Amino acid sequence: MTAATVVDVATVALDRAPEGDAEALVIANDEQLTRFASNRIHQNVAERGLRLHARIVSADRMGVAEAAGSDPEQLAQTVMGAAENARRVSPATEVPPLPEPDGGLDGPVAFNAATAETTPEMRADMVGEIVSRAAAHGLRAYGFVSTASRETAIANTRGVRRRAVSTQASSVVVVMGDAGSGYASRHTSDIGRLDVAAMADEAVDTCLRNQNAEPLEPGTYEVILSPYAVVDMLEHLGWVGLSALAVQEHRSFMKIGERLMSEEVTIRDDCLDAALFPYPFDYEGVSTQPLDIIRDGVCKAVLYDTPTALRDGVRSTGHSLAQPNTWGPWAGHLVMLPGMDTLPAMIGQVKRGLYVTRFWYVRDVDPLRTIITGMTREGTFLIEDGALSRPVADLRFTQSIVDALADVRGISRERRVELGEGESGVLAPWVHLGGFTFTS
Amino acid sequence: MRDLAERALDAAVAAGAEYVECRVVDRSVQHLVVKNGVVAAIESSDDEGIGVRVIADGAWGFAATSGLDGESIDDAARLAVRIARASARVQTEPVRLSPLEPAIGNYRTPVLKDPFAVSLEDKLDLLLRTDAALARVPEVRVRECSLEFDREHRFFATSDGARIEQTIVESGGGLDATATSDDDVQTRSYPNSFGRHQLCAGWEAIESFDLAGNAERIAAEAAALLTADRCPEGVMTVILDGTQAAMQVHESCGHPTELDRVLGTEAAFAGTSFLTPDLLGNFRYGSEFVTMTADSTRENGLGTFGWDDEGVPARRTVLVDRGIFTGYMTSRETAAALGQESNGTMRADGWSRIPLIRMTNVSLEPGDSSLEEMIAGTERGVLLETNRSWSIDDRRLNFQFGTQNGWEIVDGERRRLVRNALYAGRTPEFWGSCDAVAGPGEWAMWGVVNCGKGQPLQSMHVGHGAAPCRFRNVNVRPAL
Repeated sequence: MTAATVVDVATVALDRAPEGDAEALVIANDEQLTRFASNRIHQNVAERGLRLHARIVSADRMGVAEAAGSDPEQLAQTVMGAAENARRVSPATEVPPLPEPDGGLDGPVAFNAATAETTPEMRADMVGEIVSRAAAHGLRAYGFVSTASRETAIANTRGVRRRAVSTQASSVVVVMGDAGSGYASRHTSDIGRLDVAAMADEAVDTCLRNQNAEPLEPGTYEVILSPYAVVDMLEHLGWVGLSALAVQEHRSFMKIGERLMSEEVTIRDDCLDAALFPYPFDYEGVSTQPLDIIRDGVCKAVLYDTPTALRDGVRSTGHSLAQPNTWGPWAGHLVMLPGMDTLPAMIGQVKRGLYVTRFWYVRDVDPLRTIITGMTREGTFLIEDGALSRPVADLRFTQSIVDALADVRGISRERRVELGEGESGVLAPWVHLGGFTFTS
Repeated sequence: MRDLAERALDAAVAAGAEYVECRVVDRSVQHLVVKNGVVAAIESSDDEGIGVRVIADGAWGFAATSGLDGESIDDAARLAVRIARASARVQTEPVRLSPLEPAIGNYRTPVLKDPFAVSLEDKLDLLLRTDAALARVPEVRVRECSLEFDREHRFFATSDGARIEQTIVESGGGLDATATSDDDVQTRSYPNSFGRHQLCAGWEAIESFDLAGNAERIAAEAAALLTADRCPEGVMTVILDGTQAAMQVHESCGHPTELDRVLGTEAAFAGTSFLTPDLLGNFRYGSEFVTMTADSTRENGLGTFGWDDEGVPARRTVLVDRGIFTGYMTSRETAAALGQESNGTMRADGWSRIPLIRMTNVSLEPGDSSLEEMIAGTERGVLLETNRSWSIDDRRLNFQFGTQNGWEIVDGERRRLVRNALYAGRTPEFWGSCDAVAGPGEWAMWGVVNCGKGQPLQSMHVGHGAAPCRFRNVNVRPAL
């Protein structure tokens, strides 16, 4: 896909708009994923697509249409469908205007040319490296190596013109033995920094230590959560409570100005953090603002898109999904600030507790109270007298995230990027919590 | 579509593929939302493209493109072959497929009223009337109702001669009423949670839901939950309504009987299964009241079609027969690993994804009881309605579900509304404690429109027939 194509589609679509204000969101993606199981590649796929999302706002009416294709002229016709949809809607009391240009730059963006040019053979060889490291210990490897490039153009008739090209290289591995497994992952924009050997070694090490796990009585335990688990907590906080829409609909835990978490906890949404995937604007073309959401345990801010900002009489913070949507503003760059601790020192402080590598199938039980449930997976270990003593069988937890983060006893200096279930990157440290409730 | 598919087949064979499948897919979706009295979304989408799956050097490759010009199709076909050859670098043995007679045919979802022919004005009128009915209950602060109509036209062709054309039509709709107080938020949904209920059917399905006629009742239930007592805690009898029974079937029977999970090909993501092949035919999965099937021929189910995405004809498979685990959902490759033939459950999410083993219509077959009989036969328990939260481990054993609504039952009578109910258990013990399933009169086909699996992630629409059913000695507690 050439750069000109994406911009051309947006430009032609705006030219075709018959009435009102028009917005064209064009995404060209080139994504390839090599998947392996039981030490062999079993699925290996590529997708190239070009999609246009067209929106018309005209006299208190809004219509949307989408299409996929390859011909700019043909795709641009989608805008006519959006206009037709708009014409047939009765006037509404709340139709936010399209954003004006805000002078923001189209950078920095997470992009690496080598990632975009990675070949199927290179991905297969990376899989071969992972598999050989597992097989050397008589273990089986499962997971994927993927590379993706995505070009986005957003333009509207009020003058917004944004364009960015981003890349992502990801790998996940689960290593299995006869009586237990281990997990590791790496995510970066630069394929040259995707250290699959280190990742495989980490998963092998966890797997070897996680054999023949014994059950442990459910209850409330002191825990150390690895970044892979902390990411789930941060992501669910984002889904249930960090958006202005959740506050406006009285279903958010956020109370601006109140301290709800430990002073050690600062959670940001930071589109500029170089350790994540920097990206400068949202799906309305509004520049994304780095925000402290929780600072030193105190609720500081929530995320806005244009509709929620209009309702509260403020400016959008640039956290919009494609409009319109019922999800509200979206935290795409969640970051938890690091602490001062090392992982060995954190473990050394625990008399009796649990180390959790990873959570699985986490779901919201009570969004207002941020209660989630889920299972531990691929490496849960008992900590006794400051050291990991033995693996324990996977446990179900049911726990309020805010309550857990109100009793933080340590945060690591080191952090990891992990993709949450929503597939956006989250940057998280290891976290030592005073209490975490396991229910079965 | 046929010409595009033929071109892709020719290009892949010319590039050296030993076997080629291609699917040209054109999916149209109309999505309408009314939120708090305002038309919040009126969207139409048209997503067309082609996916080419090949075997070359004994390994799989797949490439897809939204470009339907000759050059893009040739590029995709050649890329699929190149990817397959790369796969062969990390391969233990060549791919083997179970035998299949190539099919030629057509299938179209039976539809009484084409939903795309119903006027937009009539659809919005229904949503606005539904919203107005919800608005009669002042405690309901967030009202949302929606309709969605999907039409997917597919042409499937293989290098060994299959040529299949199918048109699948789905109609869905639903409402959510969220009531709030100073310290609580409660949502009730109708006909099902997660936004909507959906069937392979036309506008007649929407009419049968009677959204406007049920809206005020559902809104009142949401408001009543704000002041309801907490769900009781303890080991007691649980009766699930049909929608929650459908969710229980989905998570604890549907997923663990997918043979790809069992063989480990989803181990790094969705997980594996406790139903290993050595248990086939001899493992007691549930009580004698429990029979479950995967049936892609069932009327109105979201897993109903003529052929799956490998060209295998639709059929019925018994997964659990009167409590005994008897079958898997399979593909041509996984079936071959067990020396079987595929039972036709490979489904792809659009043109850009490969087919995976997916649920078709996985159903709990009806029994001979009734909801009222079950309540009358319960000394202490809860009737739980409409899913609120769901979680299960990666082998599909340890589960915990929450429901929107609960009714405490004492001495055979519904006593009081209760909120924030959770129940938990382990799959075989739970289904082993089932002592009643309602009969065909209370059995209905439900739709799940957000079943996730695979990497890259695929979202599938699947069907579940279910009726109210009763379980003894279940752990129940409130969420807080």
